[in-house]
Amino acid sequence: MAKITLTMRSSITVPLEAEVITPDGLAGKSEEEIKSLTVYHGNREMKLGDFFDVSVEGSGDPASTEIIMKGDLTRVKRIGEGMTAGSIVIEGSCDMHCGALMRGGKITVKGDADAWAGREMRGGELVIEGNAGNYLGAGYRGEMTGMRGGKITVEGDAGDYIGEHMAGGEILVKGNVGILPGLSMTGGRIIIEGSATMPGGEMTKGEIIVKGEVYDMLPGFRFEGEEEIEGKRFRKHTGDLAVRGVGKGVLLLG
Amino acid sequence: MGILIKNGVVYDPAQGIYGEKMDISIDGDKIVEDVSSPERVIDAEGRLVVPGGVELHSHIAGGKVNAGRIMRPEDGRKGRAPRGRLTRACSGFSILNTFSTGYTYARMGYTTTFEAAMPPLLARHTHEEFEDMPITDKGALVLLDNNWMTMEYVKAGDLDRLAAYVSWMFGATKAYGIKIVNPGGVEAWGWGKNCSINDPVPHFDVTPKEIIRALAKVNEELKLPHSIHIHCNDLGHPGNFETTLETYEAVKDITASSDRQVMHATHTQFHAYGGSSWKDFESKADAIADYVNKNDHITIDLGAVMFCDTTTMTADGPMEYSLHTLSRRKWSNHDVELETGSGIIPVAYSPKVPVNAIQWAVGIELALLIEDPWKVVLTTDHPNGCPFTFYPEIIALLMSKPKREEMLKGVSDAVGRRALIATIDRELTWGEIITMTRSAPAKILGLSESKGTLRVGADADVAIYDIMPESFDPAKGYREIEEKLMRTFYTVKGGEVVVKDGEIVATPPGRTYWVNPVGERAHAMREEMLKDLEAKFDAYYTVSMANYPVQDEYLSHPLEIRAG
Amino acid sequence: MATETVTDVICPLCGSLCDDIEVIVEAGRITNVKKACPLGKSKIMGHGRIRAPMVREGGELREVSYDVAIERSAEILSDAKRPLLYGWSSLICEAQRKGVELAEEIGALIDNTASVCHGPTVIGVQGKGSPGCTLGEVKNRADLVVFWGCNPAEAHPRHRARYSHAAKGFFRPGGKKDRKVYVVDVRETKTAKVADEFIRVEPGYDYMVFSALRTILAGHEDVVPDTVGGVEKSKLIEMVDAMKSCEFGIIFGGMGLTHSRGRYKNLENVISLVDELNAHTKFTLMPMRGHYNVTGSGHTFAWLTGYPFAVDFSRGYAWYNPGETAANDVLLRGEVDAMMAIAADPGAHFPGESLRHMAKIPLIQIDPYPNPTTELADVVIPSAISGVEVAGTAYRMDGVPIRTRKIVDTDYLSDEEILERILTRVRELRR
Ligand code: SF4
Ligand SMILES: [Zn+2]
Repeated sequence: MAKITLTMRSSITVPLEAEVITPDGLAGKSEEEIKSLTVYHGNREMKLGDFFDVSVEGSGDPASTEIIMKGDLTRVKRIGEGMTAGSIVIEGSCDMHCGALMRGGKITVKGDADAWAGREMRGGELVIEGNAGNYLGAGYRGEMTGMRGGKITVEGDAGDYIGEHMAGGEILVKGNVGILPGLSMTGGRIIIEGSATMPGGEMTKGEIIVKGEVYDMLPGFRFEGEEEIEGKRFRKHTGDLAVRGVGKGVLLLG
Repeated sequence: MGILIKNGVVYDPAQGIYGEKMDISIDGDKIVEDVSSPERVIDAEGRLVVPGGVELHSHIAGGKVNAGRIMRPEDGRKGRAPRGRLTRACSGFSILNTFSTGYTYARMGYTTTFEAAMPPLLARHTHEEFEDMPITDKGALVLLDNNWMTMEYVKAGDLDRLAAYVSWMFGATKAYGIKIVNPGGVEAWGWGKNCSINDPVPHFDVTPKEIIRALAKVNEELKLPHSIHIHCNDLGHPGNFETTLETYEAVKDITASSDRQVMHATHTQFHAYGGSSWKDFESKADAIADYVNKNDHITIDLGAVMFCDTTTMTADGPMEYSLHTLSRRKWSNHDVELETGSGIIPVAYSPKVPVNAIQWAVGIELALLIEDPWKVVLTTDHPNGCPFTFYPEIIALLMSKPKREEMLKGVSDAVGRRALIATIDRELTWGEIITMTRSAPAKILGLSESKGTLRVGADADVAIYDIMPESFDPAKGYREIEEKLMRTFYTVKGGEVVVKDGEIVATPPGRTYWVNPVGERAHAMREEMLKDLEAKFDAYYTVSMANYPVQDEYLSHPLEIRAG
Repeated sequence: MATETVTDVICPLCGSLCDDIEVIVEAGRITNVKKACPLGKSKIMGHGRIRAPMVREGGELREVSYDVAIERSAEILSDAKRPLLYGWSSLICEAQRKGVELAEEIGALIDNTASVCHGPTVIGVQGKGSPGCTLGEVKNRADLVVFWGCNPAEAHPRHRARYSHAAKGFFRPGGKKDRKVYVVDVRETKTAKVADEFIRVEPGYDYMVFSALRTILAGHEDVVPDTVGGVEKSKLIEMVDAMKSCEFGIIFGGMGLTHSRGRYKNLENVISLVDELNAHTKFTLMPMRGHYNVTGSGHTFAWLTGYPFAVDFSRGYAWYNPGETAANDVLLRGEVDAMMAIAADPGAHFPGESLRHMAKIPLIQIDPYPNPTTELADVVIPSAISGVEVAGTAYRMDGVPIRTRKIVDTDYLSDEEILERILTRVRELRR
């Protein structure tokens, strides 16, 4: 077991890109080695130690490494990008692309996560205890596939276009979401406990469950009757038939 | 002064040199007999020394290529590299930015690169991109076949005015050769339709075959260095090999104006299919190869497919749309008034998909079944079959049966039933590979004096690969081929070392070739033709004729070839 | 005095890029402009210019030499950690190319005005593609023209006559008589008044209307509700029939789509509609680009960097991600520590929060004309007017590149020259 604590010394406005902060990137390294890893501050190449105090307790492989992040991380991007194992606990809010391309392990964000959290995620677990921004679990610009696997849980609200091009895995949002969740979805499952606007646009497969209010139901869905899930009745729709009539996604509205 | 490359094992098929240990001398930008006190001596120590590669068909610059870049940021992010001390930032895997295009070709030992499809109205765009494409010498083939002026003259049987028009267009667009793409079919696509070789083009009432023959005749009357360069009708359709052979046969009676083919047929892989649907789709590489083996008026290039996620882009708008309806990812199209069109879609070739696997086989088969390497050029129709960065692996496939056997293990077994690749034993030699990548394309383009050879007086474009041909067995060493052909030991372009140990060390701008037809035939009917053209501009174009020709400002390093 | 008429002049104002303008020059001055619309005429005639380079000292802009202003700009840019170079749409490609070189050199974000106009269209293209054509195809072939969320009668005054609505073409010799024109918008614009059909959509409901049209086109009109986005189902069915049965259709998309709810998703949806219509007939789509060379800036950026706008060079390579890397993304978050505004007026068009940040950081303006941005700028460098005083390339809204003409001489430096000199100084300072 290893516990690595990274404490951001002060607040910054120019964002820091720190994709090196993953259990894979830090496991087995000494405090000094971690401090000398490269991070990018605007157009400057800097050292991780220029921004963070680092303490390492114990040692281990990535799977047995836990990274605790403290301080003001609202301008730290790409934390946990591509991680395959181990865990990261962010004790506060973080900037964009947290857990992007994640394949395994677990990230817990105690505060909010900005846009593109869990972008193109393939596995592992991302828990956001506050709110999530736009494009949660979505894809990159131009890419036809977003999240493919793993699980994202948001305790608060999430922004627009969550799960865009989602192909697998699960997103659970306990609060409300913005417009067009599950857009162009081809698989996987999105559960929204609060409200949503225009859910399921151009979805062809996969499932979206909205337990709260739905604003502006899209016109290309066919009502298929009622369905009971865990004792609750849902109105089941399939679509989006706007997609050449072939959309077979399932939209369950509470 | 100059450079001496000593102790190289030289292949220069144009001079009949196949693996001789010899020195190459360079003075200024030319190959010379010898150089007395060279500024720089490169000891090749037995490495492979060959002329710089000549790319005769690649989509590297212009409106369609750029529309591809804009449409595919997900492709852009794949090839990214930061700027270096000498180099600009790079992006793209199948659609590289202009800098990466120049650097990558140079690192692979290519020093001449031709853009295969320039729409006249957008010619300025192609030339602007050339200005930002470092190192290689460049040229562009101009699309003249779906052109209203062309079709009207063909219909009227007026080859005099057609010759005047073609030659005016070469000057107006600063073009190197005539490109024909799905003749008639692209005009039909203006109405959402398509044409095969004998279908009358809607409204214009000429057939593709008539267009092809007229342009071939005019091409030879104008004594252009390159022949017509054709992308046949029915690209990609099961059973299209018959159209392809009919296209070849259509120009058999026309005499070439110089010692070269009458027609260069491009990306033949996409035109060598049998069957009547995707279900019985099969290779007809043997039928195509047989024709090419028996006839001397035809040369081809491969348009080989390799398995990857690439982008297809062509002036063949209707073909791209029909391909799009199979994959339904995203589709761009750009029809160009009175002239041509284009389409772009992303394509993933998968070894498990029978049709893709057969396409892969067809490309390789064509190279192995055509006996004379002077008739077949290695291309991937970049990026249509795959990016040009796959050349080293394709060369490994051509030189090594074991490589083919290894690859066959991972592809759909439809290849065993509906393609020939597994039955072919031929392994190409270095001499044949160097011919297919240098000497043949230079000759086909009409550039054999200056390109594709290390003859005295030729351009000092040289590639040295870290391969010792005297002790190297390509059949076994195919992995090494793949690696070593990706980055040269040295690339010399125009007498300047541009790559050393696979790294860019200089980025000269490179020149733009264009052909100026100046003969009697080019000018005889120019006045009459210009009246017709002015009428077209007044009534149907949306730019004025005065603003149409590409100004000299767009070619900062022009190389004009006067023809006729 | 000698009077000269310069013909075939290219109008450097809107994306229609009319190239048939006549300019009367007397004694080296432009005295009249013919054939242009009033917008174009006023641009070519010229108006109040920035007199000289200026640098702000003690809150006041003071006139200085070009050398001083360029030196100050180079210092600002080479010190910055997160510089932003913004604008690039009302100038020629030659200057845009130099701008990208500067951005690479200093590790800047470079963004053009697409990010506040047709950026969503571009992102839509990245999702779905771009089924388009040149304007001559519309003129010669189109029998159905739809203006959706755009108002060419006011924003592109000669567009309808030259290219679309009333243009006489080869297969449409009757011009207006041979084609049907729909306007779809949230209000009855001037263009709507001259159209054959006006369809009013509730603001923010374009996405749903496209979905309904696509659902009907796919043969599932039974699931479509009686009204969608304020449009009756019968109207939608009628529209689908009209689109399916035309010979060549085009939708011109405007800022009404890019700036209403759903933004680039509206574009993705309409692109798919057009794509699917091609199973029935020929159909195309074109964005109505505003600034005369915003299309060119997308093109030059793309061939140089791989991406059409919102390019971040901070890590040496190009990273593109609008929402993260566009001008207002970084201004609203207060990330930018130095900015250049060139040939654009963010001072008039950016949200207040962005402007407040711009006021806090060093701001360099390069422009022929004073505008609200000037009031925020710390360094102001006047430039020659591209397309009037300098020749160079511009791309029409349909991607057709045309070389603009130089009509008169000037003492002002060209944008390209100013950038080249800043770049040279930046390189020296960074060494
Ligand atoms: S329509 Fe546009 S380009 Fe044409 S004259 Fe008016 S402003 Fe200039
Ligand atoms: Zn091609």
